[in-house]
Amino acid sequence: MTLDATRQMLAIRQPPSPRHAFFTRTRFVTPLVVVLVLGLTLLWLSSLNLDSIEQRTLNLDYIVARTREHLGLTVVASALVAVLAIPTGVALSRTKSRVVRAIVLGLANIGQATPAVGVIILLAIVWKTGYTTALVALVVYSFLPVLRNTLVGLQQIDESVRESAKGMGMTRNQVLLRIELPLAVPVILAGLRTSLVFAVGVATIATFINAGGLGDMIVNGLKLQRYPVLITGAVLVASIALLIDWIAGIAEDLLRPRGI
Amino acid sequence: MTEFDFTGLLTFWARRWDDILGLVVEHVTVVAVALVIAMAIGVGIGMLVWNRPIPRSVTIAAAGVALTVPSLALLAILIPPFGLGWTPTVIALVVYSLLPIVRNTVVGLREVPPAIMESAKGMGMSPVKVLFSIQLPMAWPVILTGVRVAAQLTVGIAAIAAYVAGPGLGAFIFKGLSSLGSKNALNFALTGTLGVVILALLIDAIFVAITRSTTSRGLRA
Repeated sequence: MTLDATRQMLAIRQPPSPRHAFFTRTRFVTPLVVVLVLGLTLLWLSSLNLDSIEQRTLNLDYIVARTREHLGLTVVASALVAVLAIPTGVALSRTKSRVVRAIVLGLANIGQATPAVGVIILLAIVWKTGYTTALVALVVYSFLPVLRNTLVGLQQIDESVRESAKGMGMTRNQVLLRIELPLAVPVILAGLRTSLVFAVGVATIATFINAGGLGDMIVNGLKLQRYPVLITGAVLVASIALLIDWIAGIAEDLLRPRGI
Repeated sequence: MTEFDFTGLLTFWARRWDDILGLVVEHVTVVAVALVIAMAIGVGIGMLVWNRPIPRSVTIAAAGVALTVPSLALLAILIPPFGLGWTPTVIALVVYSLLPIVRNTVVGLREVPPAIMESAKGMGMSPVKVLFSIQLPMAWPVILTGVRVAAQLTVGIAAIAAYVAGPGLGAFIFKGLSSLGSKNALNFALTGTLGVVILALLIDAIFVAITRSTTSRGLRA
């Protein structure tokens, strides 16, 4: 999705945070806000008199089950994308062919313009509804952005760095493993982070094709006109998205090779 | 399982051409309305905070948080206060547009070389005058890039808004889902999805043209 483009276009201007300022106060704003909002929601819910329909969804078992489905879909899809897209990106970067690269980058751009709802619903129509379809849709959808980031990350490396590595007598594989990949890690991780956060959003839409997740709460709340259910679902999804982005941000900082 | 039938798709398009055009117009309208509002708010905020470090990082962080919230969740939260239809859709699209616009406004205003700011000051311009007649024109291409990113983002999100009875091509996508198993299900969903993709690409091309024609003449390469 275009979120990736946003990050990319803006990330260029973002100075990388220096390592010594790792545990700053601002780092804990996100979890604090999430806990606060969740607490307020809980407080609000406990002040309400829930009817039987609301009680059926607004209980711990139901919410935990939906959250587990949601996280499962998100994490499995992102892991699959990482395993599939990064090696493909590395392999593609080895080819000298400009045509292949142009096709991949062009496809990735068109893919970003495609609405996720469209992809997931189209796949449900031509194939079947359910968890597997949602998973495949998510992987298909995130594959190209991550692939593109891998390619771009490897491409943006200064040619002279590559030359000097070669001059030091490194083989092609050594250059790749010890020079190119570490230098490309920040860009690759940024792509993965975007796709992870995005997967949380698409997993919400998965409810449309019977794949479960917290989207169920939003849709049920809307259909049955039970706003507490709808709001709780929405707040939970938003909290998960924020927390996952936060964790991914920390991982990004920790995994960034020293010196970059 | 639905088989793809190309001639069927063509007849479908021919028969529902007016419906499709109507939805395209709605889609473009809602995106345009949201972008204009977001630009007014976003550029305004950007101009207020660009040289104040704390408000600046707070607004950008807040806009970043807003962008992280999944669209269906945000639309859902907007339903109790605003009902269904255009209002929650426009509000959601504005919220999502703010980050790229505010951020690029701030970046653009800050990137004006200090030497130019100094000479403007030396010519006796007040800070407000410098902001409007020097910084804003120089930051304009960067701001427009932000709006362009926002446009790409909102064209896609508007498709989901059809679920809350919002306007646009998303209606066809959801009609495809609700008629699952019928002959036209695939045609509906495919038309909606392709329509959004084509719209996004067209709007992007339009932005290239707008950027070229509205950039101050001295800045054009």
